[in-house]
Amino acid sequence: MSRRSGGSTPRISDDQIIELVSKLQQLLPELRNRRPNKASASKVLQETCNYVRSLHKEVDDLSDRLSRLLSTIDDDSPQASIIRSLINNN
Amino acid sequence: MSPPQQPTSINPNSLKIQLAYRFLHNLNNLNTKRSNLDNTRIRRSHRVKLAAYASMAYVVGSRRAWSRAILWKIRNRAVLARFKRVDHKITTPLRHHHVHAGSVKRRTPSCSNPKREYSDPFGNSGQEVKLRKLVPGSSTMDALGLLDETADYIKCLATQVEVMKNLVDLYSII
Repeated sequence: MSRRSGGSTPRISDDQIIELVSKLQQLLPELRNRRPNKASASKVLQETCNYVRSLHKEVDDLSDRLSRLLSTIDDDSPQASIIRSLINNN
Repeated sequence: MSPPQQPTSINPNSLKIQLAYRFLHNLNNLNTKRSNLDNTRIRRSHRVKLAAYASMAYVVGSRRAWSRAILWKIRNRAVLARFKRVDHKITTPLRHHHVHAGSVKRRTPSCSNPKREYSDPFGNSGQEVKLRKLVPGSSTMDALGLLDETADYIKCLATQVEVMKNLVDLYSII
């Protein structure tokens, strides 16, 4: 496992990788409740990529919906006053 | 007789609350700033998306490479857009200019040598590379840092999605 970066960076220990991979696994909705709880690193990475992509897509969809809703919001509606008070109190 | 139910105390410092406040603040700015210009649907949804990422990165601040990368990209997007346009228009006689524009486009403050390669301790073909493309600011980290950064990024992104979902629900009750 020669690293081209050189310098004094220590070799990554396997334990650290295992710990981080399992921490990541806890965050993924797909793999969270699976047994055995230890999924392979490649599966975790793959699921992570999929999850990040799906989150990006959700942000896009939600922004689309929000922009549409914002344009139709009535300034005197109760929702608007709630939002306004929230914003002004901060 | 059961005692009256205590309201659950909200932690004002929780990530979700901070994200919600910041996102609402950005949205409000959006609405007041350019209310009558640029009102095409695509541009509006693009601006909401920018507000979402900006508020996410703002709340985390400069603690994380991904938030720094997002903030940098957003603050410089006018400049980046200009270079992108120049890139497309350039033909061969101005090749040196093209190279200059290309290198500026790729430069981010967190990276000194973007072409540095890192060994792949996972032995996975391409997964790590794909992940680096998805998580902003992660192109120059080692594998350990990448995992850590990804975990934080996912946590914030998921919370931001939750905030947005709640807002959509709130606005939809009409």
